[in-house]
Amino acid sequence: MRKAWIIGLNSFKESLRKKTLYILLVVAFVVIGASKAFSWLTAEEELKMIKDISFSGIEFFGALIAIFMSLTAISSEIEKRTIYTLFSKPITRQNFFVGKFLGIVLIILLNFILMSLFFTGLLIFKKSPPDVQVFKTLILIFIELILIGSITLTVATFASDAFNIIFSFFLYIVGHLTSYGNQLADRTENVILKGFWKLLYTVIPNYENFNIRDKVVVGIDVTWNYILKTGIYGILYLAVILLIGSYFIQKREI
Amino acid sequence: MNVIEIKELTKYYYLGRNRIVVGLENVSFNVEEGEIYGILGPNGSGKTTCLKLMLGILYPTSGEISILGKNQFDIEMKKNVGFLPENPYYYDYLTGPELLKFYGKLFEIPEKILNERIEKLLFLVKLHESKKLALRHYSKGMLERIGLAASLINDPKILILDEPTTGLDPIGCIETRDLLIQLRKEGKTILLSSHFLSEVERVCDRIAIFHRGYLLATGKLNELIQKYNAEGLEDLFVKTIAEFDKKGEIQ
Repeated sequence: MRKAWIIGLNSFKESLRKKTLYILLVVAFVVIGASKAFSWLTAEEELKMIKDISFSGIEFFGALIAIFMSLTAISSEIEKRTIYTLFSKPITRQNFFVGKFLGIVLIILLNFILMSLFFTGLLIFKKSPPDVQVFKTLILIFIELILIGSITLTVATFASDAFNIIFSFFLYIVGHLTSYGNQLADRTENVILKGFWKLLYTVIPNYENFNIRDKVVVGIDVTWNYILKTGIYGILYLAVILLIGSYFIQKREI
Repeated sequence: MNVIEIKELTKYYYLGRNRIVVGLENVSFNVEEGEIYGILGPNGSGKTTCLKLMLGILYPTSGEISILGKNQFDIEMKKNVGFLPENPYYYDYLTGPELLKFYGKLFEIPEKILNERIEKLLFLVKLHESKKLALRHYSKGMLERIGLAASLINDPKILILDEPTTGLDPIGCIETRDLLIQLRKEGKTILLSSHFLSEVERVCDRIAIFHRGYLLATGKLNELIQKYNAEGLEDLFVKTIAEFDKKGEIQ
């Protein structure tokens, strides 16, 4: 684990040098900051808008950062041939993969903290300090972002960057619509179609599970039990994804 | 005593649509403890493929590799091996000492010993005055030298060098050559891949000539020169390759 951590820290430092990261972060700040533009609304409505836009901004730009940072984490090592030197050292390929994952977690965490602090600052400025429901929403968004990043990283172990970016965005969109698949499965009479929708619902990560912002914004309380259950779902899905990634990096010819 | 044993090593690259490229074909050789073993061959002859297989970077199609009695994926074995890749490229935002520290930590070298070794190696490769310079500002020769230092960070028993003098000026080449001889005196075993014949001729105890993935000849230089009735290494090199190509054409 120590070797993975060393690789992770190095990967984190490398990610900090990518311009894409700062561009996305600046745009995220602009979007979150722009939520203040609804001052013509009543104070309560304005607060709802700030929360809604900020949660969406943190989730969307966090997802973009997770995808773009994970996308080249492995391929750049191969392209630049730094991987040859690394693999000649006493590390396993799993050390390398887990290290890359830790690097991604660190970069997502840093950006998530920066965006969340900005959002919290806005709430405090509006004399409405964040309550526990805000924190619950942010916790689930963070787990979702880790999941998104880890899926892109895993696909990077066996696919090209071009395929990976298309796949990651496709999955990001479909992952938010997967609950419709379940509803379609319940409504359809056709056994094959029913099986197809059920399969999709089971295999594709259900990102909507992590979306409680619609409830929180309108003041509906989400229980800790739900947060715990969804957190466990995210961690289990993450474990499976990392196992798949470890398998493919082990098989891969460099 | 053999510290490296390669037995019937074969590597095919599958390029799709039933296209197969031979990387290595049934290659066998041994490297003895404390010798400098030179791997010679034109570009694309399989030298680098052989080294990558030995380091577990590539998977062999068939054959066996034993280094210090262990297979090529063994972590304990890798703790005793140093590797300098061809045209090394490193994390260019790091400085020389940072790079050496990064690799040193992967060997789990205690902090104090690591720091001392970094200082010593930077002096050895004459980069002690560029400590604060990021690698992106390094010249090709400097990169080669920091690569050599990185390959020595674990004080390895076996050193595997892929074209270590590419990009070095004549003085740099001579210094590297002297360093290799010095390291041999210290008891290290060196596997040197190169297409600079004069370099190999001067430092290697035994050589192997590769061509199109095949090992054409291996042994002590003077014995091979005698066997092939050649006038020197250059003549030997040309003769073995021409003979192989001629056989191939006939077949």
